[in-house]
Amino acid sequence: MFDSVEKVETLLGEEKYICDRKIATVVFLAEKLEKPVLVEGPAGVGKTELAKVVAAATGRSLVRLQCYEGLDEAKALYEWEYSKQLLYTQILKERFVQVMAGAKTLSEAAERIGKEDSVFFSEHFIVPRPLLHAITSEEPSLLLVDEVDKSDPEFEAFLLEVLSDFQVTVPEIGTVRAVRKPLVFLTSNNAREMSDALKRRCLHLFIDYPNEALERRILEMKVPGVNEHLMRDLVGMMQRLRELDLKKIPSISETLDWARALLALNATDLDEDVVNQTLNVILKYEGDVRRVQGDLSRLLARKTGEAKAPAAAPTVVPTRTVAKKGALH
Amino acid sequence: MQKKILEFTNILRKSGIRVSTAETLDAFAALDELSIDDRDVFRDALRATMVKRGEEVSTFDQLFELFWSGFYDHLRDAFGTAAEGLEAFGIELEDLLRQIAEQLQNMQGELGDLSELAQAMLTADLDQLEQLIRAAASQSGVDRIENFLQVGFFSRRMLEQMNYEGAGQELRDLAARLEAAGMSPEEVAALRALIDRLMEAARKSVRNFTERSLQQHNHDYMEKFRRETLLEKSFYHLTEEEIRKMREVVERLAQRIKNILSIRRRRLKRGKLDLHQTLRRNMSHGGIPFELAFKQRKKDRPKLVILCDVSSSVANVSRFMLQFVYQLQEAFTRIRSFVFVSELGEVTQLFQEGDINDSIEQALDGGGVINVYTRSNFGAAFHHFWQNFLSAIDNKTTVLVLGDARNNYNDPRAWCLRDIHEKAKNVVWLNPESPSAWGFGDSVMDRYRPYCDVSEECRNLRQLSAMIDRLVL
Ligand SMILES: Nc1ncnc2c1ncn2[C@@H]1O[C@H](COP(=O)(O)OP(=O)(O)OP(=O)(O)O)[C@@H](O)[C@H]1O
Ligand SMILES: [Mg+2]
Repeated sequence: MFDSVEKVETLLGEEKYICDRKIATVVFLAEKLEKPVLVEGPAGVGKTELAKVVAAATGRSLVRLQCYEGLDEAKALYEWEYSKQLLYTQILKERFVQVMAGAKTLSEAAERIGKEDSVFFSEHFIVPRPLLHAITSEEPSLLLVDEVDKSDPEFEAFLLEVLSDFQVTVPEIGTVRAVRKPLVFLTSNNAREMSDALKRRCLHLFIDYPNEALERRILEMKVPGVNEHLMRDLVGMMQRLRELDLKKIPSISETLDWARALLALNATDLDEDVVNQTLNVILKYEGDVRRVQGDLSRLLARKTGEAKAPAAAPTVVPTRTVAKKGALH
Repeated sequence: MQKKILEFTNILRKSGIRVSTAETLDAFAALDELSIDDRDVFRDALRATMVKRGEEVSTFDQLFELFWSGFYDHLRDAFGTAAEGLEAFGIELEDLLRQIAEQLQNMQGELGDLSELAQAMLTADLDQLEQLIRAAASQSGVDRIENFLQVGFFSRRMLEQMNYEGAGQELRDLAARLEAAGMSPEEVAALRALIDRLMEAARKSVRNFTERSLQQHNHDYMEKFRRETLLEKSFYHLTEEEIRKMREVVERLAQRIKNILSIRRRRLKRGKLDLHQTLRRNMSHGGIPFELAFKQRKKDRPKLVILCDVSSSVANVSRFMLQFVYQLQEAFTRIRSFVFVSELGEVTQLFQEGDINDSIEQALDGGGVINVYTRSNFGAAFHHFWQNFLSAIDNKTTVLVLGDARNNYNDPRAWCLRDIHEKAKNVVWLNPESPSAWGFGDSVMDRYRPYCDVSEECRNLRQLSAMIDRLVL
């Protein structure tokens, strides 16, 4: 599908995902080598999004398995539809009576019914879950195992089996083998370290917070209409915020949310008022908000210090601030 | 190329990055699919296949630079400069080489008669030079280099291995033969100057290679050192940065324990079918069991009372112990925490709202209930606990005391701890001082020790985490 690393960049770009060379290389290799990719990195840097856009760009159907503590095989692979089975036994009561008719002993009756078991443990009563979907899918698919670090180590071991040979065994039915190997993306926030065995089977991609240039390109693409200097100030401030010791460091999603909020407020420039008003868009903890507010003048001062030519500045900045205040209140 | 990648793999392994054979094969497979002229792509492919831990990425990047780019670039510079020396003679390297080849032909010889090294130097064949140098390095055991005093020694050994002097002699002989065969004096002079410069470039390159090996070695060493020190580092003097890093390490260690606990819980949970519950739950379905209920077995989780000395000498032990304990909250039925210096106060409620780390910092600051700017008085603190909170302790309670037992010559009132010990399931004391200091000076550890079921030194993260394992696993 992708015939070169550059092609990956272009195709993902068409899906509105800006990826650097590093990401493109790994995506390219994942397809060529048919290997799962383990994508790690802090929250909100586009791990999940990456899997989605790769699916879109390669025309694969996206099958998503969201992991959480307590997720088990049954919920990931398939479940017997117990109530449906039960319902059928109720409906077929009469038939059972016929089957059992003439049985002399209890164990003989049980044996006869046992023979009919397969009726109830057939594909008819199976509820497929994402893993089975991905494996049995006739058309090319992309399996996204999202936030795999939230799952339990036990589940990870099971996943490992599935990823090794793309086949699963349903005892009552038999072995199901993948028609087409799905492309697999696993994402992790590193809540816990994944096992070496899993890592060995995967290509590894670490996505970090973007640098300034990349973040601007993403912003431009995702939230068009932000003017040039607001964009510069906003991204610059985000970059500086990430250097602080915050409990939750704001990520790309926060940058995008913030830009949208600022657009909604018709803000054309960052000053203390606007920032104070919108800080809760990017910071999720009270402590962080306080921390940043305490530092705000410095963060902003640095901004204006960088942004303006020293000589012309004093006259320009105040007027702009005043004008906008009027617009906001 | 494959050989060089294997060599690189070894270097990664030595720096603690575990690269399996399967992963090396993946790297080969990846390189088959890519054009490796683009160095970034090349690096990304190796990284994606060989490095699987976020924290190893920077190590990889640094080693990659040291191993792949640096030396080749160095060779190019060194030999490029050597060739530039020809400008002074107004002769291009290529022209000179052509001249030499023609002359040799007349003499019924060819460049191929020269040794590999002499040829590679003369034609500035960088790939070949790099290979020769690497081969010499591995034969001379340069990877064993440990300090800069050995750079000279190993460089000489490599030069010998490559027969550097021999190659020089060959080249000088060649110049003489060409001169005798009638090559123009200007050209011969240019060639002689070139040979000197090439020899110099080769010598420098070998030395450069040795220095790089040393850097790689030091890098491995530093990395290992850094990783281990954080666990071993004494709690006494930590910088802000170290505290931050340790906080992360504690978080990971706690997470590991959580994983173990969660597996264990799941095993326990899978109890038998609970008929009674199943019937009751399905009354509305006319007794047909649509929903099944399972018996859940319960495990005894301890209650924890934790007494933290927050005077500056012990604050860090308390800090990280609190972090452990609260990250593992679900391993305990109940946690009550107290802080003391001389006064004692309860800070449990601090942890009921908000962020663990904020709460810890507040608790270490006295939590608004005690004054931390006093001198330690364990006797007074225990007495206060005895008077007000003894009822908090029952036979399911583990009491955890963190402190150095430096009592400033006050009355230790050890009987308070005796009474606590009598009521509790057990008393555990963690002391950041080494046992050899217990009971000396104003330490009253020896007086409290009889009432502790466990009393241990806890000076660093390794000891602290071992203790946590014992507490909850
Ligand atoms: N390179 C990028 N190009 C375009 N949009 C991006 C890029 N990176 C991130 N985004 C945007 O950032 C937002 C967050 O991305 P996503 O939800 O994939 O993050 P995540 O890493 O999966 O986070 P979490 O760990 O919280 O699940 C999305 O709206 C996504 O569109
Ligand atoms: Mg996500």
